This record gives sequence, structure tokens and C-alpha cells, in this order.
Amino acid sequence: MSLRNVTLTAVAALSLGMAANAQSTTTVTVPLNEPGTQAPVPTGPGTTVTRLPDGSSTVETTGAAPAAPAPAAPAATAAPVAAEPAPVTAEPEPQTAAEVTAQAADTATPATTEEPAAEEAAAEAPAEEPAAEAPAEEAPAEEAAADEAPADEAPAEEAAEAEPAAEDEAVEEAPAEEAAADEEAAQDEATEDEAPAEAVEDEAAAEDLTEDVAVAEDSTEEDAPQIDEAAEATEAATHDQVIHDVSFSFEGPFGTYDQLQLQRGLQVYTEVCAGCHGMKQVPLRTLSDPNGPQLPEDQMRAYAGELSIFDPELDDERPREPTDMFPTIEGEGMGPDLSLMAKARAGFHGPYGTGINQLFHGIGGPEYIYSILTGYTGEEMEQAGTVLYENTAFPGGWISMAPPLSDDQVTYEDGSPTDLNSMAQDISAFLMWTAEPKMMERKQSGLVAVLFLIVLTVLLYLTNKRLWWPIKHRDEVAGSDR
Amino acid sequence: MSAGIPTDHYEPKTSAERWIDRRLPIVRLLVDFVTLPTPRNLNWWWIWGIVLTFCLVLQLATGIVLAMHYTPHVDLAFGSVEHIMRNVNGGYFLRYLHANGASLFFLAVYIHIFRGLYYGSYKAPREITWIVGMLIYIAMMATAFMGYVLPWGQMSFWGATVITGLFGAIPGVGPAIQTWLLGGPAVDNATLNRFFSLHYLVPFVIAALVVVHFWAFHTTGNNNPTGIEVRRTSKEEAKRDTLPFWPYFVVKDLVGLAIVLVIFFAVVGFMPNYLGHPDNYVEANPLVTPAHIVPEWYFLPFYAILRAFTADVWLVMAVNWITFGIVDAKFFGVIAMFGAIIVMALVPWLDTSRVRSGRYRPQFKWWFWLLAVDFVVLTWAGAMPAEGIYPYIALAGAAYWFAYFLVILPLLGVIERPLPIPNTIEEDFDAHYGRATHPAE
Repeated sequence: MSLRNVTLTAVAALSLGMAANAQSTTTVTVPLNEPGTQAPVPTGPGTTVTRLPDGSSTVETTGAAPAAPAPAAPAATAAPVAAEPAPVTAEPEPQTAAEVTAQAADTATPATTEEPAAEEAAAEAPAEEPAAEAPAEEAPAEEAAADEAPADEAPAEEAAEAEPAAEDEAVEEAPAEEAAADEEAAQDEATEDEAPAEAVEDEAAAEDLTEDVAVAEDSTEEDAPQIDEAAEATEAATHDQVIHDVSFSFEGPFGTYDQLQLQRGLQVYTEVCAGCHGMKQVPLRTLSDPNGPQLPEDQMRAYAGELSIFDPELDDERPREPTDMFPTIEGEGMGPDLSLMAKARAGFHGPYGTGINQLFHGIGGPEYIYSILTGYTGEEMEQAGTVLYENTAFPGGWISMAPPLSDDQVTYEDGSPTDLNSMAQDISAFLMWTAEPKMMERKQSGLVAVLFLIVLTVLLYLTNKRLWWPIKHRDEVAGSDR
Repeated sequence: MSAGIPTDHYEPKTSAERWIDRRLPIVRLLVDFVTLPTPRNLNWWWIWGIVLTFCLVLQLATGIVLAMHYTPHVDLAFGSVEHIMRNVNGGYFLRYLHANGASLFFLAVYIHIFRGLYYGSYKAPREITWIVGMLIYIAMMATAFMGYVLPWGQMSFWGATVITGLFGAIPGVGPAIQTWLLGGPAVDNATLNRFFSLHYLVPFVIAALVVVHFWAFHTTGNNNPTGIEVRRTSKEEAKRDTLPFWPYFVVKDLVGLAIVLVIFFAVVGFMPNYLGHPDNYVEANPLVTPAHIVPEWYFLPFYAILRAFTADVWLVMAVNWITFGIVDAKFFGVIAMFGAIIVMALVPWLDTSRVRSGRYRPQFKWWFWLLAVDFVVLTWAGAMPAEGIYPYIALAGAAYWFAYFLVILPLLGVIERPLPIPNTIEEDFDAHYGRATHPAE
């Protein structure tokens, strides 16, 4: 093959790769305002903003008629349901903020190509209907649709894919899910092997630590009480830590965030997690960033405005600006900050502890979060005045966080399944985004860099071959003195 | 450059060039630098020098930009790293390049060092090149260690606590040294500030040492897979053994660099946290000790040696008894860890064989590859908890490390019968490529 042909082929491969990449940012239509829902910042009815792939947007007025102004029923019912189970907190007003996100989740139509999963099928269904009607009426039918979809795909899909459909029978789900999970674990060597190994590691860790202290250094000896605390936590590790492998859309070199899932996750965070967990590293404006939940800007502003912050200059509370962060929540009985949680926990290190899984299955943090949320066994015990809950995913097996999620705790306006399993996946995906908001940009840059470097490698290789040819074939080159 | 390989030197051709050359011979310096006569039989193990040079430049370039956005303060450092990840244009990529660049740097330096160990690149007259290389390696370790503290995550904090604790193990003056290093009784803001300052400074010391490293091997000439010297009797003969660095080796090295970078960018783009520790995404908290403190992967072999010598090892007990308890197990481990690097630095005087290249040393080869395996095993053992069978594996690995340098190499030179060595580099090269007049062997 001549040099030119090689170059041509390489460039073709390059452009193919870029084209494939571009697909992930196809048009997303986000109607700003739905008649019948109580948007905090009303614009005219029937105004739609079409987000173009290049980030610009066009506004068109379609008039009231096609938007099918159904009565406010779905939203009205959604709101109380949503508000009810949300933990009471001083800071956010979950109701309206949730509505904002729910609304966005409801109306946006995904055009991502990569995920033919069941949830996607479910999500798309209402979007074709007059949007406002969908949640109330369509819900059962839709769930049936969701049922069918994975059933068809089940053989083709990996068994590890947790089907939202399987969890429709909310109450009886637990054993069935367990069984499925076991099966899944059996199939996934890495998960199975890793989980016990990890537990052992954790158990060992405490002793390892004391070893470290003995051999290496002074100052931790002063911290003996803390070490004991750590040891205490791991001491109870009498069972295996179970981390389920979930096939998230963002795994692998070409994985992308599912915008709708992130919006649902934001809703779960707002209504459930925000009571006890802050996200102090995440700027509110990034909710509108490309490759994130992509809330329309006014909704993002409204969301921020629902949260207050103490301003030392005013010496008073004021509504948050988009440039502010999510709230910081610290103090007695409050949970850890969730900004980076998906990167701060290792779900699995497989296969065989090499961690190469990361390349295709992500870093495991979201799986860890998912497994915690779905890992409660229902057992409780009291220790030193604190109630601990048994959790199969938590190191040590007992966690002080009460089961935060239960079936149908939130109501998605797009009618996506609200069983525990689906919600846990949504919030895990959302927390992956908060931890790594630039993931898609990073993968794209990485892909472009790799492709260019491959081209460069080929060209350099051919140059080198050509350059050295007369040196390595001196006897064939007449009159060469080299 | 009378000491170098005879070759054509730079001749200023225009009057302007002559004008400059009389005042500042910088063009001469650069031209002579890149046209250095290089043994023509260098194999692919010789590309890592250019990878290392690339790494140094990459780390400096990314690091300087990162420093513009980073805040070295215990309350702000962690947040400023997140600021880089979220708000700075391209900051996420810069930071991942910098973090993974350190790993590539160490991967390259380890291959580079082991290449030198195999082909005897440390032997006379290249001892100074080797020693300077070891100094660079130590400076790299210091820089990497301090850099890992800067994000102020849990592993940053506790890693710093453990490693500075090593100095505290020195009898008598140890605690004072540790306090002096930390700028206080424990890892705190003073520590973070000085580590940031030094993390910025030491890379330039490395750059200076790299220049000395270049200078040294440009004087002696490169070693090569045969370990035979380039003929220096005449320009003509030297020319038959060598090729100018530019373009032959520059292009060849760039091929190697490009392949390495494909993998590097795949890691940065697709799994940038692969070599990191999840705990470092938790902000440092002096009140909570992580369950399992591990250093970065590139320190693990020496970390394993540090932990291998526990109080129940007879050697440790003996030394403890002989020194009236001054050298306890902890201090012994510290000595062993630094000793492991020192014996490697002293290898030019420990290897008694007169044959330079391992290629012609049939027994040496086995011991060498065992050392390479030993290094990998120590890396693995260093990542494992210090209990069960792992301390024994680490101890065996550490013992072999010292045995290789202190026993095997000195003895092997005496007892080994080397294979026949080609007369010239040209002959070796022709044996691979071409001329029937010089058949192989």
C-alpha cells in the first residue's frame, strides 16, 4: 500500500470516528413551558425552544392549540406525592424545584442512539402523545410497554442489565430481585470474585493499618481512637459486600450520559437526598451545561432561586445565583457531601484486582451507590444509641443511613418507572455526572487524540522505514557508503 | 569536544553565522547536539529516553497551567482542584494529563533503568551518567510524592503523614527532622504550602540534572545492545559504527513515542482514574484514617521493602541486638528502603564482569530477568495488606533485590564465562541487516 493510500484510509477512519461521536449530541427539543403545569417562570404557552446541536437555540411560537392544554391534573397529583416523602429540611423547597426538573424530564425527547434500554422506550412513549396528558393516563400502559421491551431484548441484552420491568410488583420484588442479582453475580465473574475479596480486604485493612503504624510512623499512633473507629466499622464485616454491576449508558470509551436519566436523577436528589446530603462542589449553572441534565436556562435559574444561601455582605439569606454551588449540608446527623461520591467509592476492582474493568464498565462508583440504595435487608440494630441498618453493599454490613428510597417515592412526569431499582439507577447516574461533569468532553478529546496519534504513528512508522531502508540494505544500494 | 566520537562538527557558512558563532556558539552547540554520532544498532529499548524527555516537558507545561488555578491552602486546595475540573477551560484534561503523566513518567523511567541494567549502561565510562540518572529518579520520586499531596484528598494527607513519618524513625534527630519537614507537629497548612513550593521547584532541578545527564552521555557516547564502544580511531571508522542522531534516531524515537502516546491518551481519555485512589476524591480529614493507606503504584516496590522487615525477621533482631536497640524494626525498614535505591546507584562498582552487555552473559540473563520479575512482585506485594502470606513474599522479594546487587553481580563477574562478542558495532548491525561479507556471529 502506498503512503497516500494509508493516509487516506487513516483520515477516513478518523472522520468516521468523529461522526460517530457527533451522534451523541443530536438535537434535543426542550419545550420550555407546558400549559397545565405550574412553571415558576411562565413564558407564553406554546413557546418551544429547539436546541440545536451547536448549542444555539431557536424559539418558535406554535400557538396554544397543538399543545393540548389538558387540565393540571398530572402536575397537581404529582406535586403532593413528590412532596410527601421528601425529608424535611430547612434549605430547599423541594416541591417547586422538583417540578421544574420533572417538567424538563417530561418534555425533552432523547435522540441518543446508544441506549435501546427499556427506560428509553418508556421515556419516548409519552413524548409522542400530547405531553401533559401522558403521565396520568398512560402510566400503566406505558409500564406494560416497558415490560415488553426488555422481555424482547432480554436474550440479547446482558443479563447484568437490571430490567426496570422486573420490579413492577413492588412488594414481592425483593426476593425476585435478589435471585436475579445472584444470577447476575454468578455470570459476572468480576463482581462475584471481587465482592468477597473486597470484604476481606476491608477487614484486613484495619490490621494492615496498625501494621503501618507500627512499622512506618509515629503520628498515627496519636490518632489511635480514630483507628479504632475505623476498625470498628470493619470489624462487623462478617458478610460479603455485594456490588451489583449495572450497565449504565456512560460506561465504556463511547458511553454517554442519558440526559433524561440525569434529569430524573436530579429530581430524586432534590426530593430525597438533598435533605441530608449537600453537593458543595457542583455549580448550579452546570445543570444547563451541554452533556449534563441540560435544564433550560430559566428552569436552572428557577431551581437555583429556590435554594437560599447566607450572604455575609448582606448579612442575610438570599436566593442562590446560577454561579453559586449546590448547598453545603454539614452537621449532626447529616450525610457526606455527594459531589464526588461516584468517584470516591470503588465499586469493583476486577478482573483479578487489575481494575481494567474501568475501561468498559466504568469506575464502579455509581454501582456502589446503586447497590447501597438497593442493598437494605430490612434488619435493624441499635448500637451506642444509633440505629444501624443492615446493607449488603456497605463495608461492614451496617449503615447508619435509614433506607432513603422506596418504591414510587418520587413521581416522574415522563412516567418513567419509579420502582426502587429504577430510581436508584437514576440517582447513581446523576451522581456520576456531578462527580465527572466533563466526562463526555473528555472521552471525545481522548478519542480525537487517539485517532490523530494513530495516524501520526502510521506516518512516522512509514517515514522511519523509508529513512532506514538504505541503511539496512546497504548491499542493495549501489555506491552507498552508509 | 575533543573527548567525543570523531565526527564532522558544525561549520558556520554565512558571515552572519560566523558573527554569531564568534560571540555565542549556541548554533554550534545545538547542531552538534542533534547530530551526535549514535551507535547504529540501538534497538527499541532505547526509545524511552525521548519518552522521558517528553514527560518532563508535558509535566512542566501542564503543571505550570494547573498552578495558575490551584490554591495551596488546607481549606481551599480540594475545592480549587474541583474548580480546575469544572470551571477552567480544558482543566479536566490538563489535570488528568498531569496525574497520568506522572505514571507514564515512572513507567518510562523504570523501563529505562532496567534497560541500563541489562545492557550494562552503568559501567565505565558511564558511571556519572548512571549516578546523575539515579539523582533524577530520586528527585522525581520527591516531586511525585509532593504532587500527590496537593489535591488534599484523604490519600494525600495520610500518604504525607506516613512518608514523612519515615524520617521520624531516624533515632535521635528523627522527630526534629520530621517537624522541620512538616513545618509543624503534623501535616497541615505549612506542609501543604512548602510541598507546593517544592513541587514547583524540584522539576527545574530535574531539568538541570537532565542536561547534565545528556552532557555526560554525549561525552561518552551512547551505550548499545552489544556494549562495545564506537571505534574512535578515525572519523571514517566511527562513521561506520554510527549514524547521526538527527534524523535517524529522532524519527525512530518518535515512532516509539507516538505508540506510547496512543495508549497514554486512551488512558487519559477513557479511564483517567484507573491509577488513582478513590479515597483521594474525599477531602482530607485528620480525624478519619482511611482503612487502607497505599502510596501511588510507582512507590509500591520500595514500600513493600519498607514493610518487609518487621520485628520478627532474624536479621532485624540481630541488628537490633548489635546496635543496642538503636536500629529498631521501623528504622531498619527505612534503611532498607533507601538502601534498595542506594545499591542500585552503586551498581557500576558492584558489577565485576568485564563484559558490558547482558546479551553475551548467559547466566546473568537469568538473574536479570528474575530481578525484573522481582520488581513486579514487589509492586504487587506493596499493594497488598501486610498480613497473611504477603509480608513473606515481600521479604523474599526484598532479599532478592539486595542479593542481586550485593552478591550475585559481584560473584557472577568472576565465575561466568561470557559468549563471544562481535568486534565492532558495524559487524553486529550487518549481522542483522545485510552484507553477506559479514555473516552473523
